Amino acid sequence: MEAVQQKLDRQAVVELILAALQDVLAGVEGEAMAPDENTRLIGRASVLDSMGLVTLIVEVEQRLEADHDLVVVLADDRAMSQTRSPFLSVGTLADYVMQLAAEQG
Amino acid sequence: MQRHIQWLTDRMAGWSAEPCLIWNDAPTTYGEILSRMHFWSHFLEEHQVAPGETVTLDGDYSPTTVALLLALIDRGAIIVPLTKAAEAHREEFLDVAQVESIISVDEYDFWSFKRTGRRADNPLIQTLRQSGDPGLVLFSSGSTGKSKAALHNFTHLLEKFKTPRQQMRTITFLLLDHIGGINTLLYTLSNGGVVISIQDRDPEIVCRAIAAHKAEMLPTSPTFLNLLLMSHAYERYDLSSLKLITYGTEVMPESTLARLHELFPQVRLQQTYGLSELGILRSKSKDSGSLWVKVGGEGYETKVVDGILWIKAHSAMLGYLNAPSPFDAEGWFNTNDMVEVDGEYIRILGRKSEIINVGGQKVYPAEVESVLLQMDNVADAVVVGEPHPLTGNIVTARVNLVHPEPAAAFRQRLRTFCRERLAAFKVPAKIEIVDTEQFNARYKRVRR
Repeated sequence: MEAVQQKLDRQAVVELILAALQDVLAGVEGEAMAPDENTRLIGRASVLDSMGLVTLIVEVEQRLEADHDLVVVLADDRAMSQTRSPFLSVGTLADYVMQLAAEQG
Repeated sequence: MQRHIQWLTDRMAGWSAEPCLIWNDAPTTYGEILSRMHFWSHFLEEHQVAPGETVTLDGDYSPTTVALLLALIDRGAIIVPLTKAAEAHREEFLDVAQVESIISVDEYDFWSFKRTGRRADNPLIQTLRQSGDPGLVLFSSGSTGKSKAALHNFTHLLEKFKTPRQQMRTITFLLLDHIGGINTLLYTLSNGGVVISIQDRDPEIVCRAIAAHKAEMLPTSPTFLNLLLMSHAYERYDLSSLKLITYGTEVMPESTLARLHELFPQVRLQQTYGLSELGILRSKSKDSGSLWVKVGGEGYETKVVDGILWIKAHSAMLGYLNAPSPFDAEGWFNTNDMVEVDGEYIRILGRKSEIINVGGQKVYPAEVESVLLQMDNVADAVVVGEPHPLTGNIVTARVNLVHPEPAAAFRQRLRTFCRERLAAFKVPAKIEIVDTEQFNARYKRVRR
């Protein structure tokens, strides 16, 4: 994959997650949708089932590494024990990515 | 001195002008192998290699190696075959098997003999020595943890070859330090067949050898057969002499078998089943396109407990040299292979240790690999489990591509392809494109 090195800003992360989400949802039954920052990733209103969520998380991790040289683990004990789940929506997931990236300096 | 394979050498003498072994494209007759064997019997006598001595035979299927193996069996030695495939563990293996002498045979068929200075005092080895019978030490592949050394009474393994079977010109694909290699060699020799030795296990070289020497039988692994299909080497050689392809050592992907059967409708495709600890069972596939197989035969009993195959074998090893006995009180051995049962047939699903538990549901790597191998541009695929906090484990696919392809697009293509063919929990959540080969020197996929 041609790695495009760019400074990580939140908007780029949101776009990366949305692109990953569209890929993961492609071919899944259900009506076509245009996800945005508020799209829910867990809970009753979620567009994904649990396998879909796992796949999305891995896909986002792989894209962050390929496109931004950023190696993060999005799903671990820490993520699972947050009071507000990072996987609630596209926006919260982007926030969590930004937080992990900031910690890496 | 007691001779241990008089019956075999008597048979071989009857074929003395017939070809026995093709090595470097040149034939050696049964008569020549027997006279080399006599040379080695004298050599062992002169060098005081005693019955019961632990001797490493290091080599591939050359005239010297084959003659020496027979001489060592006949003398009642305990043979510890080693090949290049075991190179990384050589010192460890020599140590575990308490090897006292080493005879190495190189690629020019030149040999060297040396004493290691060790004295074998393992209690199991001593028990075997007291019986006066020849022995064989085979190392289990050790995909999980350390390799275990199985000590056999060679006489028990030889017993079944006394029953005459089909004469076959056979490619010796499986190596001499593997139960499948020993089995192929003894089967071929005891039926007057021809051992066709190959320098390399590359599809091109194997196909060339089949064509040049009119091989009838190819005992191999599913991984090799997949490589053969990908290479298209079969299109460049006349393989019409082939009558039988046997496959074992790992689970055959259904898709590989289907393609093979379609390409070679005249060739019988036969699954084999064996273990370093128990020898090779007799087996019969339902038909060439089927993964259902009957295993057992004389000297073997089988049962399935909780989906796992257990075997009781007359030819079972005496025990491990470096681990406790794995047999239960009645002599049953837990293979740790998960199987499905349909009447007298079983279908092997995979190793119990390789099952991936995704949110409480079982995924067998071979089932997913079989689907991946049907995709365009996929050369090989290995499926493993990885821990994940959301579902316990996830299915990870590591894929070799034929031609480069953008990674994200490939991942999406793979998911879509799998969703149409597999339950959602079996679809790989993680997909990695890899450049390196994912099989070992024995052409077996490595899942780790």
